[in-house]
Amino acid sequence: MYREALREAIDEEMERNKLVFIIGEGIAERGGSYKVTEGLLAKYGSLRVRDTPIAEAGMIGVGVGAAIAGARPIVEILYIDFAMLGMDMIVNQAAKFRLMTGGDGRVPFVMRTQGGAGGGVAAQHSQSLEALFYHIPGLKVVMPSVPADAKGLLKYALRQDDPVMFLEHKHLYMSKGPVPDGEHIVEFGKGDIKRSGKDVTLIAWSNMIPRSLEAAEALAKEGIDVEVVDPRTLVPLDKELILTSVAKTNRVVIVQEAVRRGGVASDIASIIQEEAFYDLDAPIEIVAGLNIPIPFNLELEKASVPQKDDVIAAVKRCLHPEQFTARAAN
Amino acid sequence: MADSILVPQVGQDLTEAKVVALHVKLGDIVKKGDVVAEVESEKASFEVEAFAAGTVIQLPYGVGDTATVLQPLVILGNPGETVGKAETVGTSGTAPQALQPESKPTADAPPLSQTGDGFRSSPLARRVAAVNGIDIKRLNGSGPKGAIVLRDVKSVLQGGMRSLASPGQHADASSINTRSLRTGTGDPIVFIHGFGAELAAWRPLVDSIPVDNLMVGLDLPAHGASPAPGQAGFEQMVASVAVALIAAGRTRLHLVGHSLGAAVAAVLATQQGLDVRSLTLMSPAGLGPKINGDFLSGFLDAKSEPALKAWMLSLVHEPASLPGAMVRATLNAREGTELAAGQSRLAKSLFSGSTQLFSIRDALKQVGVPCRIIVGREDAIIPSDQTENLPGHVAIHKLARIGHLPFLEAAPLVGRLVAETVRAG
Repeated sequence: MYREALREAIDEEMERNKLVFIIGEGIAERGGSYKVTEGLLAKYGSLRVRDTPIAEAGMIGVGVGAAIAGARPIVEILYIDFAMLGMDMIVNQAAKFRLMTGGDGRVPFVMRTQGGAGGGVAAQHSQSLEALFYHIPGLKVVMPSVPADAKGLLKYALRQDDPVMFLEHKHLYMSKGPVPDGEHIVEFGKGDIKRSGKDVTLIAWSNMIPRSLEAAEALAKEGIDVEVVDPRTLVPLDKELILTSVAKTNRVVIVQEAVRRGGVASDIASIIQEEAFYDLDAPIEIVAGLNIPIPFNLELEKASVPQKDDVIAAVKRCLHPEQFTARAAN
Repeated sequence: MADSILVPQVGQDLTEAKVVALHVKLGDIVKKGDVVAEVESEKASFEVEAFAAGTVIQLPYGVGDTATVLQPLVILGNPGETVGKAETVGTSGTAPQALQPESKPTADAPPLSQTGDGFRSSPLARRVAAVNGIDIKRLNGSGPKGAIVLRDVKSVLQGGMRSLASPGQHADASSINTRSLRTGTGDPIVFIHGFGAELAAWRPLVDSIPVDNLMVGLDLPAHGASPAPGQAGFEQMVASVAVALIAAGRTRLHLVGHSLGAAVAAVLATQQGLDVRSLTLMSPAGLGPKINGDFLSGFLDAKSEPALKAWMLSLVHEPASLPGAMVRATLNAREGTELAAGQSRLAKSLFSGSTQLFSIRDALKQVGVPCRIIVGREDAIIPSDQTENLPGHVAIHKLARIGHLPFLEAAPLVGRLVAETVRAG
């Protein structure tokens, strides 16, 4: 499971490097709200696995400071929504320190947190805020979609020297998938083809990967062969992988759970039109959340973020569908 | 396609005119200059003339109606043609515009036929069309809102290519035979032979080129192992080579060409979709009108080894440098095949007597990569004096005591020059 893969990564890296420690709300005694850190207190003691008060600004400040001083902190923030309290430390301190010290100072700070809609936890506990961090030069933005990537990326995060926004999804903790034992590292900037296909390139990340794969399977029954590309890290972004896939399929759908306006999908679309304009046979489709706060009502919540059918419809739009009705008729 | 005769601008500030007479009715055939109607403003009356010929397919206004200036008054088309619904203005006698005198008549006047301005196509479709020399505006679009998409271009391309092919042969990308001449790494160097030759002609040269790049030869249509197209022509030849290179994924490459192959290479270097890094052109065709017509006909007609050898000797300055094997290979390649007939057809489309019918001078002007021309001063096929007035960015090497085949007679020097061009590219 995704949460066990994360635990494995933290456990192995704490074992390997004494400078790795983790702090957060309810992560020690309770083992974390999503049970990612269960058992770590008993193994590593309260000096390295430490509960904090409900004070995100303080926790993030402690993490950034410890990282500057040479430690390798993991700060777990219960909801990404709460990370907003620490934005000054993240945006103005952690992201800038390396440049402003001429590269002498590094900030190997890892903030683990989770976002996304699902479960009716309303507007302040459901946001997808990766675009805020994506926008800030100096931060790495990591969004694993499957257990193996979660482990490999977190292990890599704890070995590199820049601030990492490690963004999990509340729906993925219980998702299952194979996870390699022991030394399994996924470098940043290396995307992954989650399903290979030839008709359309579908770019998604985090919880939109399982949703896109479901859509792809449904489309396969209609003879539409979708390639699902998971960049895994938004910063750095694996442009090569994306452009190679676009050159193959000539059509692109980008799926993000976050609201459409000012989103990462728009930026990826701009990169594609700039670097692969003459590979495009159809306008790029973006499937994204509505430009609204996430509603509390479960039905409205569902309507506000992309669903499988939205993805299917977008894929068909960019395929000029008569081509496929013709194929099915043959 | 429907054309409209518009209500004339009857005065500077006037937006309306009254239709006082219609001299045509539906189905009438009009010719250019016919007076089709009369309209009048508060100040004057105007005769309206047809500016083109056609059949009257619609009359939006009746006599006595108030018409809006610059709106269609008479719509011409082909018999049986109708005007698109969305573009139809009121047909019921009273024009709706007439009720709104305040509206600006020109601003939102819907022209009846927007095929020019409303043209839509995907970037990929445009690129592939341009590479293949297809005028995309002539295609029918099957994409959203009639946009021309890749499959529309492909269908024309496949149809077109089939019509070029000899019966029973598919002239798709695979109709251009290519073969590796030397293995290597980096951007490939693609060699294009001259008229009547084949890719094997390059073998003596490749080992004299001191670079590590992969070297690939291709057979032009109707040469070597590439079939003869049904219809021959310079543009078709360039297009089929371009299609073959793109289909093989060789879009970034260096080109080396000889004679007719050099002309093909020069034009390929200006094609969108190909990233040609450098050009080495030996004894290129297409620089001027002159070519040795006697040689062409004698070469094509020769049926025996002595006859062919007699003509082929004029390819070189030093007779000993013409390998006997080359004469035999040329003869063997023709025997029992349609190549000779295909080459004759090709020659007819490229040359008329001693005149070359195509030019690469415009292409050379556009070339933005290192470009080198190598000619023999004693070339008896294409006179070397046609290399005057080349664009300043083209390097020219005129080799003394060398004929039409510098890569054969001066292989070490030519090899060195190819390498220098490739390294610069």
